[in-house]
Amino acid sequence: MASDAAEPSPTFLKTLRAAMDRPLLFFGGKGGVGKTTLAAARALESAGEGTRTLLVSTDRAHSTSDALDVRLGPEPREVRRDLWAMELDPSSEADRYMAGVKERIADATPPRLAAEVGRQMDLARASPGAEEAALFDRFTRVIEEEPFPRTIFDTAPSGQTLRLLSLPEVMTAWMGSLIAQRRKLGTLGRMWRNVAGAAAGSAGQGRDVILEALEERRERFERTRAVLCDPGRTAFVFVVTAERLPVLETHRTMTALSGHGIPVGGVIVNQVLPTSTTDAFLLGRKQREAAHLADIEDRFGDWPVGYLPLLERDPVGTDELGRLLGLMRGHSTEDCT
Amino acid sequence: MSLGSGARSALLQRLRSARDIYEGVYFVPYRTTIHREYLRQRDLFLVLGFSDLLGVPSPVQFYTLELLPEVLDQFHEWHLRMGMEEPPEGGFRCC
Repeated sequence: MASDAAEPSPTFLKTLRAAMDRPLLFFGGKGGVGKTTLAAARALESAGEGTRTLLVSTDRAHSTSDALDVRLGPEPREVRRDLWAMELDPSSEADRYMAGVKERIADATPPRLAAEVGRQMDLARASPGAEEAALFDRFTRVIEEEPFPRTIFDTAPSGQTLRLLSLPEVMTAWMGSLIAQRRKLGTLGRMWRNVAGAAAGSAGQGRDVILEALEERRERFERTRAVLCDPGRTAFVFVVTAERLPVLETHRTMTALSGHGIPVGGVIVNQVLPTSTTDAFLLGRKQREAAHLADIEDRFGDWPVGYLPLLERDPVGTDELGRLLGLMRGHSTEDCT
Repeated sequence: MSLGSGARSALLQRLRSARDIYEGVYFVPYRTTIHREYLRQRDLFLVLGFSDLLGVPSPVQFYTLELLPEVLDQFHEWHLRMGMEEPPEGGFRCC
């Protein structure tokens, strides 16, 4: 247990705050721990400091729209001074992605294969990875365009996030060899046609649109990976509550992300019960919470940890939300209220 | 000394035949090797791009969908070459 070593640690808190100042900020964590709220809070705070900020949400429940009290869509919209926000819908992103693929391959598809290509495309669209893939493709574009000095992503639940972020690495290796393979095939095909004359036919010529699209995607993913792995530009901040499952899952995710070279900025423990309580029920809860907080310090001790109190009522309106992160403390035993 | 036009064309004909024989001798083994290598690379490409058909999940399936028409075409060519008139079960329905 870390209780004797755990002096209130303002330096640690400062490290967490510094991570949250990076141009690209991701909020991760299990569903329901409050990452959408904290992402919105950080975005409002950042805009309040005068930094032009973009908040990107992928929440199907439109919580960001609710929190900011505006209707958001798939394109950035100015919400208030220096704050822009967008809400990506995984399903429409997937439709858009597939439509793009269909358009690119239309000319390359021989009529006799058209039906089967269509069937395979529909199968792909219906499989579970489609939305995730499309969303990631869109992420890389948002990061690439980077028209904002600060972009904040309120990401999807951690399992998915983990896969998304570990993909570029895998993808670069895999797609790289596919592209190299296809190019080699082109060269060999040409050699074969040169020596074989009419016997080789004229198949496989003039399909550069496809190779170009693949190259563009591979290079974009490679650039994204470079940005994501740069601790000067990116931080991944995790939100947990003092409960068993969020702590376990988040710890796994953070360890994996660190392993992939993605900079983890720290952990925010949300909804910590106040120490000042005298209520018997709350004291009971507080006792249980203490065990989880000790576990958190044990597991996350090497990362900066910040603590946010459970508030009497949820932060209402953009002003209160913008001040929320100001309540963050460096240690759980400090009185947060 | 000059050749009559008949004799001249006969000589050209012989030279042409000699060239064809030379080409045949020189190119045929070369051609076979290149063609075999070409087919080998095509099969590798097929496996890389659509490994999930063999039960190996491909991490880039969605990011290589543009290759679908080409891979289907190659798949068709592959099962014919392997002596299967119908495509194997569970794969593409290309015929």
